[in-house]
Amino acid sequence: MNPPRGEVLQGTLDLIVLKTLDALGPLHGYGIAQRIQQVSEDLLKLNQGTLYPALLRLEQRGWITSKWGVSDNNRKAKYYSLTRSGRKQLATETETWERMAGIIARLLGAEGA
Amino acid sequence: MSRLRMAGSRLLGFFRKRRSEENLDAELSAHLHLLTEENIRRGMSPKEARHAARREFGGLEQTKDAYRERRGLPFVDTLVQDVRYGLRTLMRSPGFTAVAVLTLALGIGANTAIFSVIHAVLLRSLSFPEANRLVLIWATNTTNGELHDVASYPDFEDWKAQSKSFANVAAFTTRGAILTTEKQAERVSAVQASAEFFDTLGVQPELGRAFRSDEQQPGAGRVVLLSDLFWKRRFAHRPDVLGQTVRINEEAFTIIGVMPPGFEIPPGNSEQIYMPMVRDGNRNHGFLMVLGRCRRKVSISAAQAEMDLITRGLAAQFPRSDKAVGANVVPLTDAFLGPARTGLLLMLGVVTLVLLIACGNVASVMLARGASRQREMAVRAALGAGRQRLMRQLLTESVLLAFAGGTAGLLLAAWGTRLLVSLLARNFDIPRLGDTHTDLWVLGFTLLVSAAAGILFGILPALGAASADVNEGLRESSRSSTGNLRGQRIRSSLVVMETALALILLSGAGVLLKSLLVMRGTAPGFRTDNLLAVEFSLPRIKFAKTPERLRFFTSVLNRVEGIPGVRSAALVADLPLGGGEDGLGFHIVGRPDPSPSTSFQASFNIVSAGYFQTMGIPLHAGREFTEQDSVGTPGVVVVNDTAARRFWPGENPLGKQIILDAAQPPLTVVGVTGDVRQRSLGVPPKPEIYLDYLQPGPDWPWLVLVARTTEQPAKLAGTVKAVAASVDQDVPVLRTSTMDEILSSSLAQPSVYALLLGVFASLALALAAVGLYGIVSYAVTQRIHEMGIRMVLGAARGEILRLVLRRGMSLAFAGSLIGLGVALAARRVLAGMVHDAEASDPLAISAVTLLLLAVAFLASYLPARRAARVDPMVALRYE
Repeated sequence: MNPPRGEVLQGTLDLIVLKTLDALGPLHGYGIAQRIQQVSEDLLKLNQGTLYPALLRLEQRGWITSKWGVSDNNRKAKYYSLTRSGRKQLATETETWERMAGIIARLLGAEGA
Repeated sequence: MSRLRMAGSRLLGFFRKRRSEENLDAELSAHLHLLTEENIRRGMSPKEARHAARREFGGLEQTKDAYRERRGLPFVDTLVQDVRYGLRTLMRSPGFTAVAVLTLALGIGANTAIFSVIHAVLLRSLSFPEANRLVLIWATNTTNGELHDVASYPDFEDWKAQSKSFANVAAFTTRGAILTTEKQAERVSAVQASAEFFDTLGVQPELGRAFRSDEQQPGAGRVVLLSDLFWKRRFAHRPDVLGQTVRINEEAFTIIGVMPPGFEIPPGNSEQIYMPMVRDGNRNHGFLMVLGRCRRKVSISAAQAEMDLITRGLAAQFPRSDKAVGANVVPLTDAFLGPARTGLLLMLGVVTLVLLIACGNVASVMLARGASRQREMAVRAALGAGRQRLMRQLLTESVLLAFAGGTAGLLLAAWGTRLLVSLLARNFDIPRLGDTHTDLWVLGFTLLVSAAAGILFGILPALGAASADVNEGLRESSRSSTGNLRGQRIRSSLVVMETALALILLSGAGVLLKSLLVMRGTAPGFRTDNLLAVEFSLPRIKFAKTPERLRFFTSVLNRVEGIPGVRSAALVADLPLGGGEDGLGFHIVGRPDPSPSTSFQASFNIVSAGYFQTMGIPLHAGREFTEQDSVGTPGVVVVNDTAARRFWPGENPLGKQIILDAAQPPLTVVGVTGDVRQRSLGVPPKPEIYLDYLQPGPDWPWLVLVARTTEQPAKLAGTVKAVAASVDQDVPVLRTSTMDEILSSSLAQPSVYALLLGVFASLALALAAVGLYGIVSYAVTQRIHEMGIRMVLGAARGEILRLVLRRGMSLAFAGSLIGLGVALAARRVLAGMVHDAEASDPLAISAVTLLLLAVAFLASYLPARRAARVDPMVALRYE
């Protein structure tokens, strides 16, 4: 029996996408989705479609840019890459996340003890 | 920064819709292709692979929609979409649309019409700079509770000197003045004011100058300013008017200035003149209205508190004159417009109720439609429309409907406003009524009311339709679904509410109508036919002393009695039904006063010999005044029945003596007459004591001449005027009117209230009846199948009839009960508009309740009869 698949936490999708683009360089939406599922070892339930509005939002914020290119199977595909302000945003969000995670961990630890 | 970029990119997205739509398709299909290929690599068949990819991807259309929402300006997009769709939907059912638009037009139109008047009269601020800082400081009388009394000149000066709340204080009075030209004497509206008047109001003359304080000295101030309209009408806007002289109150005044257009005080008098006021050192003589301009950031209540302190100080300092004098600070706007406000706001409340009923009706029909549109909604929900999206679409539809109603309402209002203004102008003295017109404010109000109405009647149907279960909606026919049952319940409560509101309005109208009928049936106490009343305006200087006035009126009286067609004539100070009344205290000889500090109180009127006979007031005992009663003869009075009963119960008042003025010998009662409605038909008679005008007594400024004629009294008006002019051509005739005219005008105001409320209440009743009819006949249509079964199982037609009737009538009864409760609770509101009739008149209220129930019966009977007549076989097949 598989462990239950978790929903993507509200607000974490941005961080995941930014981090993915930071690690792998320019990628199309499919690539990002694959990568997320790979890394999470299929534990994260993600309707791949939900990725696209998120990508649009990040682009509108100016954190990523997009360019039309050609995919591996010779199809027209849109490639997303991180901008400078996106990199900065990634740094802030990572920091926020780590602080948050630390707090939660301490909280849970304290409860356990 | 990031937000700005977002807004920009969204705006771009909004305009580049087509291109980005293609791009989105390309991007998503690339994704699906890649996913499918991956699945094939994993060993699925192409078909399987495609399905799996779709599953993994999630809802394609939902994704696109979410993407679109982010891309452009989704709000505008969907709005345009919804409006188009809504218009199409409304066009598809023209019958429904027409009825709804008409219903709303009536409700919104009524609101717009009343608002136009309110806006012109109440809301537009007075045309003075920072008018909200202007106040009127009334004197008050703590003994008799009078809150709007005039102040004396010394009090005004002390208030001005001692107060710190006001940047400026001025005094004025609005007595008329007599303007004499070569041709004739006439009365004009005149303001006598202290020198600070124009500074306080913050308006300077557009031509010439204002008067100075040294021009307030007696004899010094022969200067006058004109209003713009006065300048235009009499001097054709000629600039050389400055320095010219006009004869006012028999003296020559030099014109020193002209005020700008729109300057008028109080509002509504735009043809007037302004003269410096002469100081009057008598602290007992109240004749001033005191105007103040509050300093910035000084509230009315702070000013009031300061004035309370000052008046207390003055009361201690001048106990003889100021012991009971207080001050009452009111905003100038309230002071001028207060009386009109209550009635107008009440009317606004009334039309709001009418609009609520209209909204109830439309909501009810929309709910019924919502039930039949359930399948459409379910299909749209299945195709990816969210709950909010559906609600928004339905609300757009109802707001559209409301705007259509509002537009039609504006047309109705344009017509209704004209009618309303002419009706009000003829019967009420409301300032600025003539300014009523449709402007941006009125348009804005209509827009707002329409939008509010649209949301109000749209919200229930929208909630109902959007929350419906998709599966059920797709599967079931709308007839038996549970959502429909709930809709039915909501519609029933709507009809109950409508009935209640209608009954509230009806009972208001009923009570007013009843009191009007009572007033119409009231005998005024004298014969009003063939009776002419002539009012004069006496120039004050020439007629400063009583003997001059006596001489003038006596000669006019003698000459009028000689006019052919005049049977008899007489003089009176306060004309019956004229609203005027003078109260005085007196003592009764041989009887102690009611208490050490008070005397007996009665109304006093001053008349000439033959007054009672001329008026047709019956003499019940003794005699009336005759030519023999005069200065030298013993003082006599005539009392009315009420006075006789009040002061000499069980005794014969004839021969009894009263003392008015301790310096004069007592007056003897020589006659008792019938009661007369002195103030108005609605006010019961008070004890009244009549004095002979030739004998010494309280001073009277002028008298009214009444003449009993043998022909149409109006025909003699010209002759009477000419006769008066032949006695003294400096005395203008203020007004001639027949007593029948006075009688009908005293009924005018209650009639207008009753008429307006009656019209709106009938409208409300009609709308509520339509609503009830709608719901009952809808229920019949819904249950026609059931009716068929009942009949087949042996139900008689009468039973079916009763079944349906009971449903309609139970709603009507519920509504009536609620309405009665509210009407009784709210009766105090009406009390201000009805004089003596009880505001909770049980007869009137039961009558309108019966009327409402009768109409409700009819509204339910029609569909009930249809149900009872239905052929069971047809009904059973009906689906």
